[in-house]
Amino acid sequence: MAGHAVEHDYHLIPPSPWPFLSGCAALVWGLGMVTFFAGLVDRTGSSPMAEWFFANGLDTLKSSLTGDGSLSGGWIILLVGCLFAAYVMYGWWKDVAAESAAGDHTPVVDIGLRYGMIMFIMQEAMFFVGWFWMFFELGLFHKVRATWNPDILENAAGYADSMAPGVTSVDAWHLPLMNTLILLLSGTTVTWAHHALMHNDRKGAKWGLFLTIALGIIFTWLQLIEYAELFHLRESGHEAWIGNNAYGSAFFMATGFHGFHVLIGTIFLFVCWVRLLKGGFKPEKHFGFEAAAWYWHFVDVVWLFLFAFVYIIFAMNGVAH
Amino acid sequence: MRLVHNITASLALLLIMPGIAFANKPTDGGYWLQDAATPVMEELTKLHNFVFWIILGITLFVMVMMGWIMFRFSAKRNPTASKTTHHVGLEVAWTIVPIIILLVMVVPSMRLLYFQDALPETEMTIKVTGNTWNWEYAYPDHPNVESFISNPLEKEDAGDLYLLKTDASLVVPVDTKIKVLITSSNNLHSFAVPAFGIKMDAVPGRINETWFEVNPGKEGTYFGQCSELCGVNHYKMPIEIEVVSKEDFQSWVANDGAFTTAVVSYDNGSIVLQD
Amino acid sequence: MAGIGYDDHDDGKPGFFARWFYSTNHKDIGTLYLIFGIISGIIGGYLSFMMRMELSEPGIQIFENGHAYNVFASMHGLIMIFFMVMPAVIGGFGNWFVPIMIGAPDMAFPRMNNLSFWLLPVALICLLISFFVPGSASGNGFGGGWVMYPPLSTSGAPGPAFDFIIIGLLAAGFSSIFGAINFITTILNMRAPGMTMHKMPLFAWSVLVTAFLLLLALPVLAASLFMLFTDRIDGGTGFFDPAMGGDPEMFQHLFWFFGHPEVYIMILPAFGMVSHVVSTFSKKPIFGYLGMAYAMVAIGVVGFVVWAHHMYTVGMDVDLKAYFLAATLVIAVPTGVKIFSWLATMWGGSISFSIPMQWALAFIFLFVLGGVTGVMLANAGVDVALHDTYYVVAHFHYVLSMGAVFGIFCGFYYWFGKMSGYLYNKWLAAAHFWLFFIGVNVIFFPQHFLGLNGMPRRYVDYPQEFELWNQVSSFGAYITLAGVGFFLLMLVEAFIRKRPAGANYWGDGATTLEWTLSSPPPYHQFNTLPRIEQNDEH
Ligand code: HEA
Ligand code: HEA
Ligand code: CUA
Ligand SMILES: [Cu+2]
Repeated sequence: MAGHAVEHDYHLIPPSPWPFLSGCAALVWGLGMVTFFAGLVDRTGSSPMAEWFFANGLDTLKSSLTGDGSLSGGWIILLVGCLFAAYVMYGWWKDVAAESAAGDHTPVVDIGLRYGMIMFIMQEAMFFVGWFWMFFELGLFHKVRATWNPDILENAAGYADSMAPGVTSVDAWHLPLMNTLILLLSGTTVTWAHHALMHNDRKGAKWGLFLTIALGIIFTWLQLIEYAELFHLRESGHEAWIGNNAYGSAFFMATGFHGFHVLIGTIFLFVCWVRLLKGGFKPEKHFGFEAAAWYWHFVDVVWLFLFAFVYIIFAMNGVAH
Repeated sequence: MRLVHNITASLALLLIMPGIAFANKPTDGGYWLQDAATPVMEELTKLHNFVFWIILGITLFVMVMMGWIMFRFSAKRNPTASKTTHHVGLEVAWTIVPIIILLVMVVPSMRLLYFQDALPETEMTIKVTGNTWNWEYAYPDHPNVESFISNPLEKEDAGDLYLLKTDASLVVPVDTKIKVLITSSNNLHSFAVPAFGIKMDAVPGRINETWFEVNPGKEGTYFGQCSELCGVNHYKMPIEIEVVSKEDFQSWVANDGAFTTAVVSYDNGSIVLQD
Repeated sequence: MAGIGYDDHDDGKPGFFARWFYSTNHKDIGTLYLIFGIISGIIGGYLSFMMRMELSEPGIQIFENGHAYNVFASMHGLIMIFFMVMPAVIGGFGNWFVPIMIGAPDMAFPRMNNLSFWLLPVALICLLISFFVPGSASGNGFGGGWVMYPPLSTSGAPGPAFDFIIIGLLAAGFSSIFGAINFITTILNMRAPGMTMHKMPLFAWSVLVTAFLLLLALPVLAASLFMLFTDRIDGGTGFFDPAMGGDPEMFQHLFWFFGHPEVYIMILPAFGMVSHVVSTFSKKPIFGYLGMAYAMVAIGVVGFVVWAHHMYTVGMDVDLKAYFLAATLVIAVPTGVKIFSWLATMWGGSISFSIPMQWALAFIFLFVLGGVTGVMLANAGVDVALHDTYYVVAHFHYVLSMGAVFGIFCGFYYWFGKMSGYLYNKWLAAAHFWLFFIGVNVIFFPQHFLGLNGMPRRYVDYPQEFELWNQVSSFGAYITLAGVGFFLLMLVEAFIRKRPAGANYWGDGATTLEWTLSSPPPYHQFNTLPRIEQNDEH
């Protein structure tokens, strides 16, 4: 059969360096993660070189955040890993875009890409199931757990209350409400862009997409402000931060992970925007754009869940006051 | 060779096994549950044996079927294969019959589950704390008995009972419903006494409870072992429980948790004078 | 850039480096996975033989202390599960044969396919590094069990060893997630004309169900591992730390929500392979094809709602236990459908007992044995006596070391000629089978006795009463070792002698599409897509 003409519409890909390089990048990144967060060598001062590369980088970050700045290093491997990964992703997606432009994405391949994106979003959703499960467990059974804890049996109720300050300062009706509106609005702008693209109104598409990206950036910005406020509250004696209690942990993990997804979604949309500006996408064929839009809607829905449960409902039942 | 010797010895044991009662610790070459000392363990053993016959039956059924098929339908004996691929009756049968078997199984299973778990009116409470790596026992109902730590004995002192024997056993009265509160000071542990049919995890930040009641006439020393991975010495935090008569327990309590020389203690069911 | 080292030969194969490192060919990637699985199997086997040697008599012989032993046990479990069984059945056989069986020229995302593979060596390197870096105060490596419960995996393992394991498992997890996306898309989108879902071979069905389990279960594992990671950071989160209001028990829920589907992830592809082998060597189509396919779907679905049967002794509410008891028992029904359908497939057949069939028959019997002890464990009341004893170890080795592994060897001997183009030596293969069959039974059958008698798991040393059965068990490990030796010998011999295999060396019984291709198949098969006749019966 070798040498036989290809008579199907599937997309056979010639060998590609990107997957192997992704593996290499993952290895560097993983080493960097362990180094940064756990540290492979102690800071004894005996071998400064090794410590600069392999000591705990989180300590460095903390010491520079507190303005002390006495420690250094520990972050370089992680940085290299991230850059390596970014380079690989760039190269990989560039190839994909080129193939798409070359017409390799026949209708059947296009359907495959759709399946792939749906599955990807499904697994992302299961990730959030993990965080929400943890959050509900902590939120719903918080007081029950307090009565179990042998160290605090004498004052279980007091213990339960003592957990509360974790996120009291986050009032659902200020920044979070604003963020909700921003994300909802961005959902409409991205749909606008989509419709414009389908009707070959490229100018409208560019504007819609631009607004969506801008809203995404504003969202991230406001979220950072909220975190910064919480951080300052802790500094000024309020006990509101990750390392403080499990409820705070769940709060930051869920909202932080969501924020991370907003970031990815924004970059995804940005890439589409650049492609659009460069003349990419056609009214009848623009799956890259649709995938970004799907992803954006998914991130939006997750936020609505966060807003409803983390910010509003659990703030009412006394767990978070 | 030690293995050969052991196998012959145990074959001899296998023959007489059903006749002899198992002791309150694992048995050399033993192949069944430890002897029950509490009503819960009696029920547990009954359920185990009941389920055992069912699963043995299923396994044998499959085995015999396979044997027959391999014999009857080998290429030699049956050169041309049939082409049957459907038989609704059969397919329904092998769905329904397992369901029925499981329904039969689930009833006693639930009964045992609730019997074990529904705490009856208990007469006394003990508190067990798992530490790395020993157990700590306290008697909340008997304030004059101070809580104490039970450490494993080293091989020189424990002899044949190495990894079972401790330097201070938990002492409880026979024929008494006892509530056990279990928690841990750091890692997970699990408080398990096979002869009592109890096993309950010791979890930091949480107090679990279970209960047992040693049957009358079952005074003696019982052994268990930590049953949840807890680190380097997980294998070396045994549980030793001395079950004494109610009177002896009273005098033990009266003596602030020490046996007087006059009191006998029980080792492996045989009575030993304290020295 | 896409063409680095790309060098078109007549058959379309690129040069060595591009072919094996930059591969986008499902068969080559499948081969890489299989080699990887064999290497991991040898590492995992080595760890288990060291444990068996340690346990062959009371006292601490080999290991420095309990921690060192726990490290071996934990890594044995992790490596066997994540790096031997999963790569072999899903990555290896799945990659090789799912596209061929459904009449597709390759996988849907060939490049992502290779990414799935290359994340695995990365993950294994991380795990192997963890052996040699500080774990707990008692030594190097992580000794908290393959289940990684906190607090032993947080405050109990301060060194970076466990961080490496987290990173490694995250990499392996993403490898599987990408693989799952790939398989689902391939199967749903790339079936040849006429190949409806209800005509699809059972192996493809089994991989489809498995891929969905992976897709839905692994992210939850990743989330829980991530929480462990942040919990471990100084001043980090406190999800599982009671002092911060967290709950160590919660990790167990998250873990087993993944962990139970995971055990079906390992066994379903084996079910698929065994179905083909049983049908081939009985010269009969599968009995009750639809029932077989939907039984796997049922197992997959129910598998998601039974997880807490691993947690009967953690102090759960009794009504919850009752629920999990009942739900767990339900799984025996679809599994029984599979067993009886295999028997019915053989019934009336014309059975030849070639090597793959021997593995398949042994699989069926030993899986039933392991399955029914699972039913015993499902009874929450009895599990109180058996939880965390060697009875559980016996149970899961019967379904894993005999179920999944026998399924792997079954598929391996079935397809070896197809994949390599060479025939194996029957005598070496038979020696492998019999040594393995006897060996693993001698290892694991006595462990039921140990468990009933109360011997807890993860013990480096035990009271002398447990000596006899441990000795027998260790003896069985030596037999199994000899079996593994014959397996490797068989491989070497086959590649030295190079006896060519025909396109369909099994004859009439083998009806799926891979048997219409040469052995090995052309570098790109089905340049013209095959057409499946409308009235083709299974
Ligand atoms: C491939 C892997 C695999 C498979 C397929 C299974 C299958 C099953 N397992 Fe197993 N299990 C594990 C791997 C697996 N398990 C592992 C790794 C652990 C331990 C993890 C750890 O702690 O480290 C474990 C532990 C484990 C426990 C926890 C024990 C404990 O820690 O205390 C339980 C309890 O319910 C259980 C139950 C079952 C059941 C009911 C099935 C069922 O699916 C079995 C169904 C099959 C049959 C029943 C046989 C065939 C059916 C018939 C012939 C029909 C007729 C039968 C009847 C009517 C009964 N398993
Ligand atoms: C698939 C999973 C798998 C497999 C195959 C095995 C195989 C074996 N296991 Fe494993 N074991 C586990 C999974 C597995 N185990 C798990 C999850 C645990 C729990 C860990 C924990 O407590 O945390 C455990 C624990 C465990 C213990 C208990 C440790 C303890 O609690 O103290 C023991 C003790 O005897 C043991 C022994 C063995 C032995 C002797 C084998 C022998 O059968 C080994 C023989 C060798 C092989 C079977 C490899 C052959 C395969 C290949 C060479 C690859 C072929 C590949 C292709 C053809 C592609 N294992
Ligand atoms: Cu304590 Cu195991
Ligand atoms: Cu399970």
